[in-house]
Amino acid sequence: MPRQNETALIIGAGLQGCSIALFLARAGWNVTLLDKNVAGRHASSVNAGGLRTLMRDWREYPLSELAMEHWRHLDRLIGAKAAESCEVRLGVGQIAVALDEAEMSWTLGRVQEMERRGLGAEELLSATEVRKMLPGLTDQALGGLVSRGDGHANPAASTRAFRQAAMAAGAKIVENCRVLGLERLPGGGWSITASSGQYEAGVLVNCAGAWGAEVAAMAGQTLPLKVVAPSMIVTARTQPFLEPVVIGIDRPLSFKQSAVGSLVIGGGILGKPCADHDTSFTVMDRMPEGAAATLEAFPALAHVPVLRTWTGLEGATPDGIPVIGPGDGTPDLWHVFGFCGHGFQLSPAVGDVVGRSLVSGTVDPLLAPFSGRRFNAGDAA
Amino acid sequence: MTINAPLPDADVIIIGCGPAGMTAAVELAEAGRSVIVLDMQPTPGGQIFRNLEANLCDTSLAGQSLLAALGPAYRAGADLIQRFKACSSIDYRPQTTVWEVRPDGTVGWLQGMNAGYVRGRQVLLAHGAMERPVPFPGWTLPGVMTAGAVQTLLKAGHLKPRGNIVLAGTGPLLLLLANQLHQLGVKPALVGRTDRLSDNVRAARHLRPDGLIPLVKGLGWLGRLKLAGVKSVTGLENLAAHGAQSVESVSFTVGGKRRTLPCDLLIVHDGIVPAIDIPNAAGLRLQWDGPNASWRPATTPDGLGASTLPPEMSAEPCVLRITGDARKIGGADAAMAHGRVAAQAILAALDHGAGPSAEALRAVGKALSVRPFLDAAFPPGLAQALPDDDTIVCRCEELTAGDLRAKIRSGFRNMDALRGETRCGMGPCQGRSCMVTAARLLQDETRAADCPPTFRGRPPIRPIPLGAVAALSGLDPRATIRLTLEDKPENASEDTVDAPAE
Repeated sequence: MPRQNETALIIGAGLQGCSIALFLARAGWNVTLLDKNVAGRHASSVNAGGLRTLMRDWREYPLSELAMEHWRHLDRLIGAKAAESCEVRLGVGQIAVALDEAEMSWTLGRVQEMERRGLGAEELLSATEVRKMLPGLTDQALGGLVSRGDGHANPAASTRAFRQAAMAAGAKIVENCRVLGLERLPGGGWSITASSGQYEAGVLVNCAGAWGAEVAAMAGQTLPLKVVAPSMIVTARTQPFLEPVVIGIDRPLSFKQSAVGSLVIGGGILGKPCADHDTSFTVMDRMPEGAAATLEAFPALAHVPVLRTWTGLEGATPDGIPVIGPGDGTPDLWHVFGFCGHGFQLSPAVGDVVGRSLVSGTVDPLLAPFSGRRFNAGDAA
Repeated sequence: MTINAPLPDADVIIIGCGPAGMTAAVELAEAGRSVIVLDMQPTPGGQIFRNLEANLCDTSLAGQSLLAALGPAYRAGADLIQRFKACSSIDYRPQTTVWEVRPDGTVGWLQGMNAGYVRGRQVLLAHGAMERPVPFPGWTLPGVMTAGAVQTLLKAGHLKPRGNIVLAGTGPLLLLLANQLHQLGVKPALVGRTDRLSDNVRAARHLRPDGLIPLVKGLGWLGRLKLAGVKSVTGLENLAAHGAQSVESVSFTVGGKRRTLPCDLLIVHDGIVPAIDIPNAAGLRLQWDGPNASWRPATTPDGLGASTLPPEMSAEPCVLRITGDARKIGGADAAMAHGRVAAQAILAALDHGAGPSAEALRAVGKALSVRPFLDAAFPPGLAQALPDDDTIVCRCEELTAGDLRAKIRSGFRNMDALRGETRCGMGPCQGRSCMVTAARLLQDETRAADCPPTFRGRPPIRPIPLGAVAALSGLDPRATIRLTLEDKPENASEDTVDAPAE
């Protein structure tokens, strides 16, 4: 393999970028991450920290299972002390609740499909079982689906831990460095013009998150991405009553009780993105839906005070799964973005598999569903 | 199909029903404008004229002596409250908490378990001031209260404190309260002032003829306290409250000597500062006021705020004005004078009229002319020195100054990063009581020339029950178009975010 292939520039020092940097640097590559803000400033640090295989898209499932292996043994990947700082809580479980017939019938279908594919991580719960596992759940619940091994971690701390592990492995991070232009070098490799100077490497990895399509466009490649601002509601502290993470099926419901007792309510309600200003705004007009879904499931929470809301910037693809793979005709330019709000859990596997693919020079079959080429045929606008 | 912006509910929404808010409301209503007034309290009056109507009607002996103790400055609000209540065209909504204000004039309100939005073509923020937060050792013990809180209990709760009472701090309110307590038969054990005679003397050069009346009033309070034999010290430093379950004693340094006194109630006051939670969350520009160690909104003389939000989040022109103590600390007279100016400016914005009259603007200048003297005579005292490492700064999350300093040193060098890392400012107070101290610690640790900007404010700035959020009324139909990230796998075709980027 030519020497130039053993240098990589990664645009975006978020969790995915740092995870890839970690694996590449461990393989002996010379890795530099460029970030227009500070490492982990956006979605990586401000997501809800869910570690979930439950209700994963089938195309993501194998990658998600590999990621779960890494989360389970995070100490082996980044060291015991760093792993502890990530506050990984696996085994508390994630539960999808079925609140009407349609959701229940989807649940039954999911379990059958799971068996057909030979996957066994999600178990069907009866109405009695789901109510026993979730005190305060409405009598209206017909059943549910549990993935007992799932849980959550601290996203900001995890992002920091991966960044430090990548740096310890030899990766360099340049912050406050905005990419202004990309140029493919004759004979392979890339040159980047950035606000803080000129950079060159054999391989370029676009981990620019919500700005991923913008970076791809600098290389003349069009990938569909919508910038969104998923938002969350946080309540005052309440008595601990809930260990598992609860998610909805057709309802915008997703919530957990944090270690300090506050309820963190998500459910994919979107705020207003202002990507050009590196910021986003919560829109309270859209919060009633998430609050109502939470109360439909847990009516006793009506008087719990909402203290604050937060939001962050994320990229969403048209089909709900990320783009991970080389660009069209550019084996030395990879795109890794568009995680649609569920990339946190995948990140160690993304670093592992992307790193392995770049080192070996062959795209790992696990990444087959994520090729950006899937948007070329027909249906792309 | 285009969805139109919701129609305004009123020409003007006024937030706060104190001297400034009431004055503006009356002025606007008398000019034929529709006005909605939102206020947290059950009756009009704000902090200064709190519960005045009911207290005026109380003919009992206790009621009369309370009125006498609260003095003529309290009774002076009666006329304004009467005029306010006589305006039948004012839609007055008491016991209503505001939890969001947007640059386009949208105001989020909460009343009991009901919440929603109302919209004004113009909005006037007249939400007043707050007492300067003062973290010192023991400040979170039961039995430590602020002067404002004690006044609230006097005026609305008709409660009088008992036992060994120590007042500590600075500012006119501290002396006023000491007098009021004395008149009610409660003799404080000590009035400990952080200001020094030298401050007072130096301040004299700021005296203007219009400031003489407040000065005479202040000297009167001091004289009466002295006559009554209330012990008083100046130059108090290093205040601390001690006790197991509640305050049992206080200690402090005066003239280099440490003193300890038994104490059942420690009343502290370090001056008042503009309440910035609403303007901050509305994205209005704030400026740091060094001598007063506080932020205040940057406004034009008629109170117009300036948006710092990206263009797609701002309204053009800005329809938010700020008046009264929320804009600049000046007390009730200055608030009434500026409330009139703001109302005239709003009439001009609605009608393209003439704007504030020279006479109204002059009245503001006159009422504010005593401020330079008061600011110099009563500089921030209790909060002047930054708290030591063991003192709690964020009482919601129980974080000490040492906790914050350690995180700042380890690299969390802006307010939002510090909040995200430590949870400082994430509790029910949403930063109201810790933000200024956190900012000053950050400035000190980073040796920055200026105090850093505030935490980013997001709605809701006051707690709203989850049930009220679920049933919010008055939503903007343009904002509620369903946008969610779908996680349900087989439903990819139903995704509502599947519009490809252009």
